[in-house]
Amino acid sequence: MIEPLVPSRRRLLAAATALALAGAAPALAAGEPRPGGDVVFLIDSLGPTWIPNNSAISSFQGHIWGHVTDKLVYVDADGKVSPWLAKGWEQNADATEFTLHLRDGVTFSDGTPLDASAVVANLDIWHAGRIKEGINPIGLFPKTYERAEAIDARTVKVVFRAPTLGFIPTLGYHGSILISPKTLARPASEQADLARTAGSGPFLVAAWKEGDFVRLVRRKDYAWGPQAVGRTGPAAIESITYKVVGEPSLRVAAVQSGQADVAYNASPQELKSLKEAGFTVATPRYLGFVNGWAINTKLAPYDDVRVRRALQAAIDRQEILDTVYTPDWKAATSFIQSNVPGATDQSARLAYDPGKAERLLDEAGWVKGRGGIRAKGGKPLVLTLYANPYLATAKAVDELIAQQLGRLGWKVEIRAYDVVTFGQKVQFGGPAVPAYEVTRSFIDAGTVASILTSANNGENWFALGEGDPTINDLRDRIAGAKTIAARDPLLDELQRYVLDQGYFIPRTQIVQRIYVQSPKLKGETYNGIAYASYYTATKGE
Amino acid sequence: MRHPYLVYAGRRLAQAVVVILLTYVFTFVVVSILPGDPVTNVLRDPQNGFSEEQIQAIVAAQGLDQPLLVQLWTALTHFLSGDFGLSMRSSRPVATLIAEVLPSTLALASAGLAVALGLAFAIAYGTQFLPGRLGSGLRALPSLFLSVPNFVIGLVLIHAFGFQLGLFRVIEPESAWATAFAAIALGIPISAQIAEVLIANLDHEARQDYAAVARSRGLSPARLFARHLLKPSSLPVVTVIALTVGELLGGSLVTEAVFGRNGVGSLVQRSAAAQDLPVLQAVVALAALIFVLVNLAADLVYPLLDPRITLAGPAARRPGKADEAPHDAPLRTVTG
Repeated sequence: MIEPLVPSRRRLLAAATALALAGAAPALAAGEPRPGGDVVFLIDSLGPTWIPNNSAISSFQGHIWGHVTDKLVYVDADGKVSPWLAKGWEQNADATEFTLHLRDGVTFSDGTPLDASAVVANLDIWHAGRIKEGINPIGLFPKTYERAEAIDARTVKVVFRAPTLGFIPTLGYHGSILISPKTLARPASEQADLARTAGSGPFLVAAWKEGDFVRLVRRKDYAWGPQAVGRTGPAAIESITYKVVGEPSLRVAAVQSGQADVAYNASPQELKSLKEAGFTVATPRYLGFVNGWAINTKLAPYDDVRVRRALQAAIDRQEILDTVYTPDWKAATSFIQSNVPGATDQSARLAYDPGKAERLLDEAGWVKGRGGIRAKGGKPLVLTLYANPYLATAKAVDELIAQQLGRLGWKVEIRAYDVVTFGQKVQFGGPAVPAYEVTRSFIDAGTVASILTSANNGENWFALGEGDPTINDLRDRIAGAKTIAARDPLLDELQRYVLDQGYFIPRTQIVQRIYVQSPKLKGETYNGIAYASYYTATKGE
Repeated sequence: MRHPYLVYAGRRLAQAVVVILLTYVFTFVVVSILPGDPVTNVLRDPQNGFSEEQIQAIVAAQGLDQPLLVQLWTALTHFLSGDFGLSMRSSRPVATLIAEVLPSTLALASAGLAVALGLAFAIAYGTQFLPGRLGSGLRALPSLFLSVPNFVIGLVLIHAFGFQLGLFRVIEPESAWATAFAAIALGIPISAQIAEVLIANLDHEARQDYAAVARSRGLSPARLFARHLLKPSSLPVVTVIALTVGELLGGSLVTEAVFGRNGVGSLVQRSAAAQDLPVLQAVVALAALIFVLVNLAADLVYPLLDPRITLAGPAARRPGKADEAPHDAPLRTVTG
């Protein structure tokens, strides 16, 4: 199952010798790129399981799946959807039926053709999983899915129970990876063995060891890359090794000393000096929500719109960027990232205005008392923050905001939990959670409205339930929109309303994937979920 | 001699089985009282977008809604029939997971023990026979070694020999050089305990009449050490080695983490973070098994090394450090 490491060791040793010959300091000047080369990518973790359905949206495993598998459509960093293995598609007027036209000649690495029946098998398992066997559905796949059928070998018809404009963009999401039907037919314990999984991507799994490494080699007969990245033939890079190195400083040091090519998730504070030393630093943004708080409108004093608006005006967002981050981070302009199609610029609503905040708080009856803390009816003005454990900088931002709010009379308490405890104790609208810190990607803005309220298993972010008719109406009209042109003005209205009501308090746009890269490696591409693909890359000497 | 030996070994084996079963149940209890489980922890991550119905269906399908006692009984009966089950985290067989990582840990632990023994004997020899300050200076080494945690030693070694001198690549922690340095980091604190016992016993033996007789006959220090002092002094070392197995295993987990080795330690760390009960139970049972077996082996070796130890009654107690050693032992006569 796990192949011996000998070839890779030999290659790595050869590379080490070459570096040693080049002198103590590895030459940073990039030479001419040429085909071949091994990319060594150091990563924090390789996630829990390799069952495709259960792991495809893991923040770590997405890197490997992106090279081993293909998708039906490609979504670029600006959210633009373009053809890939689906060379075209049509939808009916209600956006309830879609017809996908597949590309010819595509095969999985086990030789199975990637045809209409293979696509149907994938859509079915994304939707339902095989729960009894431990294969989960893809949570973010549209729950309105009814069925898919192969019209002929190259044509798939997909039917939904309700309008689902988000279907086509969802096909470019990192969960929507196409796996050989032969692999999908296997039981969970066999699907968990990555070496036995066949995709149609530009790389194959050569060897892997759980919690240690995954080594990919180029597939020589690959010929169906997405047009959008400017390459369709086989990759130039010969192999990619994803290696787990848990310690962030060790990952960066290994790239600095020439022992690896890419370090994932470096700390933002290190980036400036790394750039100055000639290393490539990439901070692509994913499509999704900005980093910010969903406010619990059931919990006093945040049930008062004046207090929520004061909070919106009391945060100096530029200071967060200047203090915690680098110029690679961008200011929030809405509660969704500015690269999402349909996002509109609401910067004016997010301006720092401490005077306005103090006025609003005075109006709401929160007056400054001893020690500068505001109080009303003997109760202090408290904001309890739970630092999001999925974002390394969350606590630093919390601490800065605590200072900013403290100047205006807020008493801010910060709690930091590990991932498990956070998941248990901190929920949207939880009884002790005034502000839930959001870090979340999505591929289509149409899904945004549906999760904000409690209708249809929505997540009820602001604890409004069905209580705000304006947001309910916007939600229903967005969900029922049949064209993008009809939907965009509704999305704009939703953004304005949510920010004006102080339901969502944005902090900054989010960068959750940080890459520090050797200058010898060039030409990688980043997709809409901020994953780096080395399919298009070359490595110089 | 054989018959009491077999009874003794049988009794110890039965004790071992009970210990292993108890650790298995204990692990289950400890992990189960933690909030959450690996399946729902993943499902509840809002990023994954599962509906409540989907979560309930998955939890029920995995048997996680069953009462704890039922879950324990299911796990225990499978375990007793030799089926370690599937990891809840990766869905791969637990036996496969352990088989993947065990060689790395065994290599590190045995290399670490070799380093510890080599260092301990070198230090102990030096304290007896190096002249003046050098010899007494060596006596301070074990305390120094004990007070520096092995992860600090590991980080210093990685920095000096990995990054500065480039003797090994940090991203290839299983290479021979990297293993050697990891073994040094692991072996140094353990060598201190062995050295302390050895030095104390050498001091004791060197004061004995037979040693004085040997010296008066003009035996060289090296010969005296090797021929006469070493054997009686190293008996307690067997006890210490058996006791350090736990430390060797535990220390190798820390050392593995520092050097980035993918051994049992990293498996435990991943499994503990994910509350992966089947893996944790199997690893804990395995560790208990090793610990029990090594101590059993030590107990069975003593009577062979020292004829004064019999298997009957309290005299079967193992020899400990020098101060516990029987001072009323009969004088030895030197025939060399």
